Amino acid sequence: MDLVGYTILIPLAAGAIVRLVPDAFKGLKEGIALVVSALTFYFTIALFREGFVESGYFGKMLFRMDTLSSFVLLFIGFFGLVMVLYSLGFMRGKGNLKEYYSYWLLTLGGACGAVLANDMILFVTFWGFLGFTLYMLVMTGGPKAAGAAKKTMVIVGGTDALLVLAVAIVWVMTGSTSLTQESIPTVTGLSAFAFILFACAAFAKAGAMPFHSWIPDAAEHAPTSVVAYLPASVDKLLGIYLLARISLYLFNLTPGMQLLVLIVGAFTIIAAVMMALVQHDLKRLLSYHAVSQVGYMVLGVATLNPIGVAGGLFHMVNHAIYKGCLFLCAGSVEKEEGTTDLDSLGGLARYMPITFVTCLLAALAISGIPPLNGFVSKWMVYQGIIEMGRGGGYLWVLWLVAAMFGSALTLASFMKVLHAVFLGIRERKAGGDPKEVGLAMAIPMIVLATLCLAFGIFAFSIPLSGFILPAINGISWLSVPDVSQWLGWWSPGMATLFIVAGVGIGLIIYLAGRLKGTRTSSMYVGGEILEPEVRVTGTDFYTTVSDMGFFSTMYRWAEARTFDTYDIGRSISFYFIKGFRAAHTGILPEYLTWTLAGLLVLVLILLR
Amino acid sequence: MHYALCLALFLVGLYGVMVKRNLIKIVISLVILESAVNMFIIMIGYRKDGIAPIMSKMMDPEVFASRSVDPIPQALVLTAIVIGLGVTAMTVALAMRLYEKYGTYDIKEIRNLKG
Amino acid sequence: MQIIPLFVAIPLGAAFFIPMVGRKNPRLSDTLANITTLALFLMALSVIGKATQVYWMGGWVPRLGIPVGINLVLDGVSIFMLVTITLISFLVTIYSIHYMDKFTSKARFYSLFLLMVAGMNGVALTGDLFNLYVFLEITSIASYALVAFGGQHEELEASFKYVVLGCVASTLVLLGIAITYAMTGSLNMAQVSTIIGGNFKPIHLFTMALFISGFGLKAALVPFHAWLPDAHPSAPAPISAMLSGVVIKTIGIYALVRVMLNVFGMTPLTSYILLVLGTISMVVGVLLCMGQDDIKRFLAYSSISQIGYIVLGFGLGTRLGIAAALFHLINHAVFKSLLFLNSGAVEYATGTRDFSKLGGLKDKMPVTTTTAVIGSMSIAGVPPLSGFWSKLFIIVACVQAERYGFAAWAAGVSVLTLAAYLRMLKRTFYGQPGEAQPAAREVPMSMKLSMVALAALCVVMGMLWMPHAQRTFLIPAARVLQEGLTYASSVLGM
Repeated sequence: MDLVGYTILIPLAAGAIVRLVPDAFKGLKEGIALVVSALTFYFTIALFREGFVESGYFGKMLFRMDTLSSFVLLFIGFFGLVMVLYSLGFMRGKGNLKEYYSYWLLTLGGACGAVLANDMILFVTFWGFLGFTLYMLVMTGGPKAAGAAKKTMVIVGGTDALLVLAVAIVWVMTGSTSLTQESIPTVTGLSAFAFILFACAAFAKAGAMPFHSWIPDAAEHAPTSVVAYLPASVDKLLGIYLLARISLYLFNLTPGMQLLVLIVGAFTIIAAVMMALVQHDLKRLLSYHAVSQVGYMVLGVATLNPIGVAGGLFHMVNHAIYKGCLFLCAGSVEKEEGTTDLDSLGGLARYMPITFVTCLLAALAISGIPPLNGFVSKWMVYQGIIEMGRGGGYLWVLWLVAAMFGSALTLASFMKVLHAVFLGIRERKAGGDPKEVGLAMAIPMIVLATLCLAFGIFAFSIPLSGFILPAINGISWLSVPDVSQWLGWWSPGMATLFIVAGVGIGLIIYLAGRLKGTRTSSMYVGGEILEPEVRVTGTDFYTTVSDMGFFSTMYRWAEARTFDTYDIGRSISFYFIKGFRAAHTGILPEYLTWTLAGLLVLVLILLR
Repeated sequence: MHYALCLALFLVGLYGVMVKRNLIKIVISLVILESAVNMFIIMIGYRKDGIAPIMSKMMDPEVFASRSVDPIPQALVLTAIVIGLGVTAMTVALAMRLYEKYGTYDIKEIRNLKG
Repeated sequence: MQIIPLFVAIPLGAAFFIPMVGRKNPRLSDTLANITTLALFLMALSVIGKATQVYWMGGWVPRLGIPVGINLVLDGVSIFMLVTITLISFLVTIYSIHYMDKFTSKARFYSLFLLMVAGMNGVALTGDLFNLYVFLEITSIASYALVAFGGQHEELEASFKYVVLGCVASTLVLLGIAITYAMTGSLNMAQVSTIIGGNFKPIHLFTMALFISGFGLKAALVPFHAWLPDAHPSAPAPISAMLSGVVIKTIGIYALVRVMLNVFGMTPLTSYILLVLGTISMVVGVLLCMGQDDIKRFLAYSSISQIGYIVLGFGLGTRLGIAAALFHLINHAVFKSLLFLNSGAVEYATGTRDFSKLGGLKDKMPVTTTTAVIGSMSIAGVPPLSGFWSKLFIIVACVQAERYGFAAWAAGVSVLTLAAYLRMLKRTFYGQPGEAQPAAREVPMSMKLSMVALAALCVVMGMLWMPHAQRTFLIPAARVLQEGLTYASSVLGM
């Protein structure tokens, strides 16, 4: 047993133990969860420092950690610890805690296993197991979550079945089950098919369209900490890790395949952010952003040039940080106010300053405001797209426009969130004022918000040179031979400029807010005396968008789930099901006729 | 020729099972079906002007082998008849109980289980 | 003392003995039945890894290489089937201790049950075509009676339909056997296969059609499946578990595969027929299963779908395909029995099997819920449970044989299976509490015990693919089937 084994097996074993701990021991499961996730984080740091690890069992090189997987592993360990800490506060006093912490730890172990696995079958095992733990974790949201859990599992678990087929094809084609073998050109139909199957699994896990629809549903019903942990951070890391692994290592993409992935990325950005604009529930809104941001990562990886890929991978890490933070904030709001409905929230900034500040930082980061981390990685993705455009063609303009437009809409929708939740007037409710959350919940939010800032300001010195550059240089055909080239496009002077610009923009925003605040005027509505409850909630900011002709139709269809892959699949299946069920009339002679018809057909085929 | 008769009987049985609606008639058709197959098996062992396959001390084995009918099909048919009897008894019992429960012998009326 | 005939003799003897002594004393019947099935299971375990043995009944050994008597053959596949049959029947008898309390005449139940086991063991062991038919009919008659055991409307109706269709199938098989005898003059499988030797005349092909449809009906392949969704749910839960778990596999699939692969030998055409039949069953079965509202009917349709997987694997005819199919066969026996036992527990606790009345049983019945989740995830192919491995290897085998279309169907049906089982879990154990829920309590000990044992098997069965277990258990079985016609020499050569 080596470090790799410990990293995977200790959380898995602890998860199994927690499941069996009697309820009588209060606090034991929380204690185990905290200690084990801290231990796992320590192991992942140790592994990250080693840089390259191989570990074989049964004469096969089952595990291998290279520069691509090492930092993903590090962040999985990090989020495991941070989110467990948050859960201690958030889940206190709720039911199903035994299942919650048990599947939580199993998820941690499974995620480490999936990232470390080098053997494809082993990888699929961990990957599929993660789908199951996700299902059970969503299920801890209570009876209402059952439907969302089912949908989640059908999409995530269903694509695992496709993954199995993909692994089978790759194994038969190359005779090897190594994830890091010689890359396979996607020129034949079969290898292209295998790549698409792999990509489906990656998209479903990360939540790119058209496999995204489980995320909003799960976000609405699952415990918020689960959403912050899995769909918002760890599943993103895993999904994009797989996408990077297959597009950069396992397969050698043809332009056609690249185009396919680019289309998925660009479409995801725009469509999801449009849906986010009109949401009325904070968690649903955040989850649509979680879908939208995947588009940037997919675009970045699909540019297949160093800057773009680096941007995509960096965005993956950044997104996990700020989206995790945003969901944690949403959880804090939910904990204090008992709801995440934007229409009934408001004015919380005064009562929950820490939550407000962390949420503000994360919101600015996701909107791509300098000098926060989201800006840097988005900017790198743009650079990658432009770089790709130098190769010729005009389509790259489309991707660039989609990415930039999406960024603008993201900002717009977070304006709405910040206003609806933290600004404005608080609706008067019974039960006193909300309080700031406890330390266990505040620390994770503060840590993540600080990281947003740190990874933005010190983008080059910490994350980029720390783990993104090594990951890029680990791929021979992508590597930048001279690191000074990288310095060329990310000069410290430029960084300073951005910081200054960022502070400037921040000041302007602040002043604009102040200006707005000073301009008070009394309302006069035909002599009526207005109740103070009349307030602007912020959800109506963008009703204009949804009222426009073309968009209103699209939104109506989207509300009716016309575009949901899951529902389309369901209606198609039920069309057949109805027919088949009607055929089984219960009349014996008909059954006999089938039998004899079957015999007759067999005779005709065999004797032809 | 006799094989054709077996086939005819077999088809009669199949027709009955498939077309008749009365439970008892279905059972009878099943019996006809079995009899057709049993007869077919007997036919396999048949030999024109054959003698019974009972070997006695006086008989020359060579002569016996060249003249007697094949005994194996007969053994098979005996077993098959016994099995058929068991199934028939089972079926008739079921038909009676079904009539008690559903109040009808019509197989098309007995269709609580469907879909 | 030869062990081979005991596999048939012990349950047959017990089947007659139990109603004689146990009529007044249900607990004595329980004890005797459990001892019998445990003994059979231990015997089956003791023969794992043994080389092929042939037992000639009545000491009628072959003269000059020509078999004259009936023989029982214990080779790799037979051992495999015996282990499967006896394992499930042992766990099911444990379950029956408490479950069958609500029925009268337990002794008769055990009698029929053991008769069924005897018949199946016979089918797995026999090396003689007519003997195969006899054991087939013993199993079938016992199962007809067991389906009707409840004696209510649906039970009787299902049983009648099952009898009529089963009887037609048996007749087809018997006709096939008769024609084979007429063509070859022998009933011994080994002898028949040497005489045919792969040279097919039209009449042989006709016989094959008879066998495929006859055994196909017993195995419930679409379009011969219509009896199964009626019969399996109507039986008492332990019997449903046996019927779906092992009976259709032994008297359907095993018999079909034995005859097609070892007696006639696989041709590209028959291989293709099996592939198509398997795929149709897989797809139609899972679609029908998705639309059901009765938990046991749901499971029954799902059996049709899973049988499709097994036949698909066998149809490939490659070593990997056959091994994967056998692997899926034993896995399916375990998890489908488990799920039927779960459904029995739900019915026992709530008195209904209707999805619309169930729901939210999670907190009331934790053991049933957990085991049902494990069983469902296993059948849906979620790693690291057993069903994942066998489906993985079936898909790999399809791709390896360059049957990409069939591989894609197998993967697609896996998705639908997952969706169907998640629906079942949601409607029964999770989701909003249903109207039948308040009275529910966890089931008695013996039922819990066998469910937990089967769930544990679901978790560890993936180990069968570990090199050592594979070499001693799976590969010998697959080799016997894959090497097809060499079966004859291994039986007659002794």
